[in-house]
Amino acid sequence: MPDNIVKPKLANMRKITSYLVTLLLAHIISVTAFAQNVTISGNVRNSNSQENVSAVSVTIKGSSTGTFTDDKGNYSISAKSLPVTLIFSSIGFEPQEVAVSTQQKTDVAFKPTSSLGQEIVVSASRVPEKILESPVSIERVSAASIRSAPSSGFYDIVATLKGVDVTTSSLTFKSPTTRGFGGSGNVRFNQLVDGMDNQAPGLNFSVASIIGLNELDIDNIELLSGASSALYGSGGMNGTMLMTSKSPFKYQGLSFVIKEGILHTDESQRQASSFHNWSLRWAEKFSDKFAVKITSELVQAKDWIGTDYRNYDRSGGKLKAGSRETDPNFDGINVYGDETTGDIRPVLNGVAAAAPFLAPFISTLTTKPINVSRTGYTEQELINPNTVNFKISGSLHYKLTEKTEAVIAAYWGTGNTVYTGASRYSLRNFKMGQYKVELNNKNWTLRAYTTQENAGDSYNLAATTQNFNEAWKPSPGNTGWFAQYGQAFLTSKLNGLSDQDAHIAARKVADVGRPVVGTASFNEVYDKIRKLPVPKGGGLLDRSDLYVAEGNYNLSSITKSVADVIIGANYKKYVLNSQGTLFADSIDPIGIKEFGIFIQASRDITSKLKLTASGRYDKNEYFKGRFTPRVTAVYKVVPNNNIRLSYQTAYRFPSNQQQFINLDLISYKLIGGNEGLATFYNFNANPAYDRDSLAAGKTIQQQFGQLKPESLQSFELGYKGLVLNSKLLIDIYGYYGQFTNFLARRIVVQSKIGAPITQADADTGNIYSVPINSDVKVTTYGFGLGLDYRLPKNFSISFNLASDNLKDVPTNFIASFNSPKYKLNAAFSNTGFGKTKRYGFTVAYRWQDAFYFQGDLANGNLPSVQTLDAQLSVKLPKTKSILKFGATNLLNQYYYNAVGNSNIGGLYYVSFGYNIY
Amino acid sequence: MKYNSNIFKRSFLSAASAILILSACNKDLEQIAAVTPAPTGNSLGATLAANPDDSLYLAMVKRAGLLTTINNTGATYTMFVPNNNAMRIFVNAATGGAIPIAAPDAVHSAFITNTLPVANAAGLVGYNIVPQKVMAADIPATFPNFQYPTILNPAPTVSALLRLTTFPSTANGAWLNNIPLTNVDIPASNGVIHNTAFLVTPPQRFLWDRINTDPALTYLKAAIIRADSGTAPAGSPGTLQAALLNIGANLTIFAPTDVAFQQTLTGAIAQVLIGLGVPPATALAQATALASTPAVFENPALFAVLTAQTVKGIVVYHILGKRAFTNNFPTTATLVPTLLNSALPSHPGVTLQATFGVPFVSAATVKGAYNTTDANVVINASPLIPDPSGSSDQHYVNGVIQKIDQVLIPLPL
Repeated sequence: MPDNIVKPKLANMRKITSYLVTLLLAHIISVTAFAQNVTISGNVRNSNSQENVSAVSVTIKGSSTGTFTDDKGNYSISAKSLPVTLIFSSIGFEPQEVAVSTQQKTDVAFKPTSSLGQEIVVSASRVPEKILESPVSIERVSAASIRSAPSSGFYDIVATLKGVDVTTSSLTFKSPTTRGFGGSGNVRFNQLVDGMDNQAPGLNFSVASIIGLNELDIDNIELLSGASSALYGSGGMNGTMLMTSKSPFKYQGLSFVIKEGILHTDESQRQASSFHNWSLRWAEKFSDKFAVKITSELVQAKDWIGTDYRNYDRSGGKLKAGSRETDPNFDGINVYGDETTGDIRPVLNGVAAAAPFLAPFISTLTTKPINVSRTGYTEQELINPNTVNFKISGSLHYKLTEKTEAVIAAYWGTGNTVYTGASRYSLRNFKMGQYKVELNNKNWTLRAYTTQENAGDSYNLAATTQNFNEAWKPSPGNTGWFAQYGQAFLTSKLNGLSDQDAHIAARKVADVGRPVVGTASFNEVYDKIRKLPVPKGGGLLDRSDLYVAEGNYNLSSITKSVADVIIGANYKKYVLNSQGTLFADSIDPIGIKEFGIFIQASRDITSKLKLTASGRYDKNEYFKGRFTPRVTAVYKVVPNNNIRLSYQTAYRFPSNQQQFINLDLISYKLIGGNEGLATFYNFNANPAYDRDSLAAGKTIQQQFGQLKPESLQSFELGYKGLVLNSKLLIDIYGYYGQFTNFLARRIVVQSKIGAPITQADADTGNIYSVPINSDVKVTTYGFGLGLDYRLPKNFSISFNLASDNLKDVPTNFIASFNSPKYKLNAAFSNTGFGKTKRYGFTVAYRWQDAFYFQGDLANGNLPSVQTLDAQLSVKLPKTKSILKFGATNLLNQYYYNAVGNSNIGGLYYVSFGYNIY
Repeated sequence: MKYNSNIFKRSFLSAASAILILSACNKDLEQIAAVTPAPTGNSLGATLAANPDDSLYLAMVKRAGLLTTINNTGATYTMFVPNNNAMRIFVNAATGGAIPIAAPDAVHSAFITNTLPVANAAGLVGYNIVPQKVMAADIPATFPNFQYPTILNPAPTVSALLRLTTFPSTANGAWLNNIPLTNVDIPASNGVIHNTAFLVTPPQRFLWDRINTDPALTYLKAAIIRADSGTAPAGSPGTLQAALLNIGANLTIFAPTDVAFQQTLTGAIAQVLIGLGVPPATALAQATALASTPAVFENPALFAVLTAQTVKGIVVYHILGKRAFTNNFPTTATLVPTLLNSALPSHPGVTLQATFGVPFVSAATVKGAYNTTDANVVINASPLIPDPSGSSDQHYVNGVIQKIDQVLIPLPL
């Protein structure tokens, strides 16, 4: 094979566009100047704004020696001898070479550029490559884009990326996804923070918005839409988001952002509230070998509230007509405690037996069930309005050798927020920590980390409130709530009242003594109940942990004559520990072990075509091993114009919850697929049957213990290229995939008395929601189109449109695809205008189509949503500060992006950022 | 600076146009509409007011303070309403004939509005209101009738659930208790009106009150006391007396007159005496003497014959566990179980039959299993003679009494 086909990395560096590679390599390779003697120092300034430019890569041409400018733009580098040529490079600036022949201060006027598509991404192939040459769809968010975004937090920026849907459970709890399956606890989309899987091991949702990075510390976010488990393991069926923090060697000094805002300005949910978001980052390079970083963030505001008071038929899984006034069996979506329901006919029949003269009359009332629900409390009444999020993280970085860096890092976060699962959960004093040790070499990485979850005082709103109702007045019994209700209902019926008025009157009687929200008597009981674990209270005692060890080795230095080869392996162990409050682990914690190995080989077949093949084998102790291959090809049509084609497979083992959850939701039980649960519920002797079929007169017995991992085979064809004199970046893709053994849930029913099943059991039996594999292939397909156009004078326009679809879903499956068929983002911005080019603005618009949302809490149609975000910023170069006036949902048009979630309005803020890179 | 301001203008304009596009704002969540047809037409009160022939009854509704109730469109009622002529008959009776039936309506109306005690008016109107919409077609024709509670609670302090009940039936025509319905299904937005031929009056006393005080039912009373003597103490739950005083009971008592008891007892005792070897003439004389007073049931000499259990068996054979007015009787001879069936489930019961005149029952019979002939219900001398004077369809809170001219024999004596 000719040498010029497999190009050495250094050869690439000669190309102007590839200087940026050094920036990245600088992370990987130790570029400190060991034992060198001529020191060159100076300062780098922006030639337009005259502000200091920090984190500029400074390298000596022809060597691996390099450093970065500090937060004042100053650098200092040692060379063996003079003259040398220094190469200055940084994203957003034209690279510059400066010849230095004498040991004097060498200052550089660095010229900003607006070149498109030049960013380097790592996650698509596990090696650095130009984003234009990525073999699969990838989006990248840089620190610069975070700086100029109108969003109040970087998760909102992710929402503007092509093909991304975000589910907002609360102000501080946002869950992104690509290619469908949105939801607070999305298990098909992985989030990795500095290489660590960020999913809470017990609750199965990603918590990067709670304990992840703060916006000052984000170097970049890479988002792989589409199947990605061939590279990143189980999960990632739909995508993987990798967040990478800034190296303390490169970005130094103290920086902070103080963001002060206001929300709830129309006071429709509650009084206008302030919004505080303070971020801090401090990094210090003590020597070329040792650097330290500490970051912290505090967010405090009054949260958005779920105000969906529509009536919900929980066992039927659909909305129904009526309100608390008109439906005695009302069960509001964001109303809790009203999940407890009962038929008052036994009460009426009891009266009929005691007072036979009423029996004929009562018999006219009891021809069908009279189901009534306990009176609930709204989310607004119950939930602690104060959302607080505090994060702190720190890391120590030590260069053991020129090429090997050791990192010890801790990420810890706590806060109050709201999560949507089978109910709304108030995550109160929720704590999660991730701790890792890592060795990074140019050719290999070794990493071990653990995730330690502590649900704190978190509680399930529905369970807590249901038990609270039992505490102030028990439902059963001769003097219980239902007895009082039934008797009062009958009294009203005997007075001729309509059913509706009789129910209202009966409720009034049964609710005598109902504690008023906010009173001491309410709080005393409620606080006691929410701390008691379910089923007696609503508390969640989750202390689940995850332990991971992983490593990979780039063998390219040995194998480069054939191909670039990377191998890797990982080992995972989950320890589920909810003391029976979430999982079937009331006796002992449940351990789940997984391991995986992978290999990837890539080769430039011709100067225009690069092929990569990778394969991965994973084994979970409860499931058979899985092999997942991936093949990609990138064809360079002309420079900066690439066509990509990929075949990817992805799989995921059933989530921990799908295996082991055991949650009594009163109207039904949400259970996992592990055989132990099937034994516990005696499904062998007293089988369960598909409820919908049973109601239609057919008996289809549910089999247990056969749950298989879900897998996806996906093809993607895409094009990314620069046209119109490199002013327009186009990215377009289409994908088609097929899920096999698609994991979904089904409602099944079991006879209450152990007798053979009858059709009536469809209404009266024990109801379970069980995970199942679809035996038909479920098809997913979609496309995306992104356009970025750079106008003169630093203006730019961007636009993206994406569509995601799922078809062939069997009718009695709850797929929870939860993605609008179409969504688009458009933005108009300027990064520097005015006389001194210190002003910037962005106006961003998002629209998404209406869609039918399916979740464990509720299903229902969501109307289309549009939002407008905007920001205006002023740079203050002398202090490297930015003053920003921003608004998200500028028009304060409240919207939901999931049924049962918070209703989101406008947030207006002003922020001051100091020493922002 | 001019250029800059242009940029500002342009940016502002783009932002403004974006806002204009957005003026179609985010939609509210879809609401699931409930289909509840709005009630149409006049309320019950307005319907009565619209009919001049209901004016006297409407006056009584007003006197009772129940106009608001029947105009409550949030409630549903069935009203049984006598027309003005029926109300005149009522006023005539209520005034002991002081106001002639033929008196001008103004006079009747004035009596109702000014003189009739409010409590009485409330009782009368309340007893004629069923708290449900019952169309004529909804009223069953099954024997004997359908027991509907009215809105009249005789003892609210005892229980909010107490109600006097009423007994519509569509067997043999259409009836409320023993009063014919003349015109049915007059619609109103909050219910329905049926006209009754006469004002249906609520019962006030209990079955035992009548039996205990009626000078023509002294044997029945003594028999009940004798029957209860096996269940101590007297009046305790489970006794017949308790049942006859129980507001929740719902019974029909076929009450043999004293003469009927005398005849049966005389015959029965004579049979026993003859069986003991007493010559028939002597036996008859002795038996006649023994049976000449109700004390016959307390005579220790007869305790072996008239045991408490035997007497109880005979008494409960005279009681139906349902309230049957004579108009509820089948027109063909039909067997009906009695309370005796709770002890002897296979017992055939009694045979009931009624013959109708216009519109009331002209004859009604009850036959015991071992009677040779039918017992006749002693039909009132004229229709609708209420408690305490009548002999048939005597209505009480917990049942109805039909006097009969024979003792019903359940088993061979």
